[in-house]
Amino acid sequence: MTISQPAKLPKKAVVPKQAIFAKAFHWVNIISLLLMMSSGLQIYNANPVFGGREGWHFPKGLLLGGWLAGGRDWHFTFMWVYSLNLLAYGLFILISRRWQQRYVSSSDLKALQVSQNAKRKTYAWHRVVYTAIIPILLLAIASGLAMYKPAQLPWLASLFGSWQTLRTVHFITVPIVLGFTLIHSLLAFRVGSMRLIRSIFVR
Amino acid sequence: MPIIQTPRPVLTRRRLLQLSGLSGMGLLLGSCASTSIAEQVGATIDPLNQRVEELLLNPQALVPEFPVSAIEPEALLINSFDTTPNLDRTTFRLIVDGDVAQPLSLSLAEIQSMPLTSMVIRHVCVEGWAAIVQWGGVSLGELIRRAQPKSTVRYAYFESADGYYESWDLASTLHPQTMLAYQKNGQPLPIENGAPLRLAAPIKLGYKQSKWVTRVTLLSQLPSKLGYWEDFGYEWFAGL
Repeated sequence: MTISQPAKLPKKAVVPKQAIFAKAFHWVNIISLLLMMSSGLQIYNANPVFGGREGWHFPKGLLLGGWLAGGRDWHFTFMWVYSLNLLAYGLFILISRRWQQRYVSSSDLKALQVSQNAKRKTYAWHRVVYTAIIPILLLAIASGLAMYKPAQLPWLASLFGSWQTLRTVHFITVPIVLGFTLIHSLLAFRVGSMRLIRSIFVR
Repeated sequence: MPIIQTPRPVLTRRRLLQLSGLSGMGLLLGSCASTSIAEQVGATIDPLNQRVEELLLNPQALVPEFPVSAIEPEALLINSFDTTPNLDRTTFRLIVDGDVAQPLSLSLAEIQSMPLTSMVIRHVCVEGWAAIVQWGGVSLGELIRRAQPKSTVRYAYFESADGYYESWDLASTLHPQTMLAYQKNGQPLPIENGAPLRLAAPIKLGYKQSKWVTRVTLLSQLPSKLGYWEDFGYEWFAGL
C-alpha cells in the first residue's frame, strides 16, 4: 500500500471546502439564535429572572416583538427553526460520520498537554470549543421546553430543581452562546484566518 | 427635470445589498412596526403550536403535585386587569348555562356542599414567574356534568364580576385538576385572589385562570371574544 503524496500545494492558499449542510446550519443557527435571544429578552423583561419586577430590565433596543405577547410570538415560532436546524445538523454529522473526525478527540486533548506545536494546540482548542457548545445548544432547548410545558413534561422540569433555577439556566445559555460565538470566531481566525471564516458562510 | 442637482451617490450593487440588509434588519428589530409583524408571525405558527399543545395535553392524566411543604405563599403575585370586585357572598350565584340540558344557578352553600377537591400545583404566569400553591374547591368537570352539556359542546366561556372573560377548550375544563377554587393554601380564598370563586388548574397559564367567576357558558362554537388578553394578542390555548 502506498500513501500518495499530495500534489504540491499552490502558493495561493486553498479555499477550505465546507459541506453545504455545515454552511446552512451556521446561517440558520445565527439568524434563529438572534431572534430567539432578542425575543427571549422581551419575555425576560416582563419579569426579570434576577430581581423580579424590581429587577434590572434590558434596554428596548435589544428587544424583539414590541411587548410580551409579540416576544412570545417570535420565540415560539423560531424555537422550531432553531431546534429543527440543530436536529438536521445532528443527523447530518451522525450519518456522514463527521462526529468521528470533526469533533474533539483524545489526540486533541493529548496535543493540549504535550504538543510543542503552537498551531496544533490552537487547532485542538478550536475543536474543544466548538464541540463544547453542542451541549449548551441542547440545554437551551431542554430548559426552554421544561418552562414551556412543565405540566406535561414534569420529569424534565423537575430535573432543574426549582423554577428559579430553571429560569436561570435557560437565561444563562444566552451569555454562554454569545461568549462562545466570540471565542469560536477568534479561534477559527487563528486556525485559518478570514479564509476559513468566509468558507463557512460563503464559499 | 430635477431642479436641484445632487452629486450622484456611488452605489454599487454590493453596497445596495448591504444597506437593504441592514435597514431590513432594523425595521424587523425596531419596535415601531414590530408588534404587527409579531402578530403575523404568531398567527402563522399558532395553528401548529396549538395542535402540538392539544396532543401534549393528556386530558385525564393527573399532573404530579407537590408536597404541602413546597408551597411558596409569597411567590404568588397579584395580577388583575382592572378592579377588585367585592361580591356579596349571601346573594352570590354561579350560573352554568349555554348548550346544556340542565342550566344551573348555585349558591355558595350549594357549591361548598359538593365534594372538596384539593391540589398543590405550580401556578405559572405568562410573565415568567411561578408559585407553588394549594387550591381547594369544586371540580369544574363535576359541575359541567351536572348541567348535562349537549354532545356538540366544545368550549367553555367564563365571565367574571370585574368584566374579565375567558374561553377554554372543553378537554381542559374537564381535566380532573381543573376546579373552581374557594380555598388557597388551606385558608378561605382571599378577595384579591378571586373570592368567592376562581378558576384554578395546573394545565393552563395564569391568565386563563379567571378570578371572581360568576358564569360558565358551554358553547359549541368558539366565541368571537376569546378572552381579555387573547383579544390583545396573547395565545388562546396557553397550555402548560
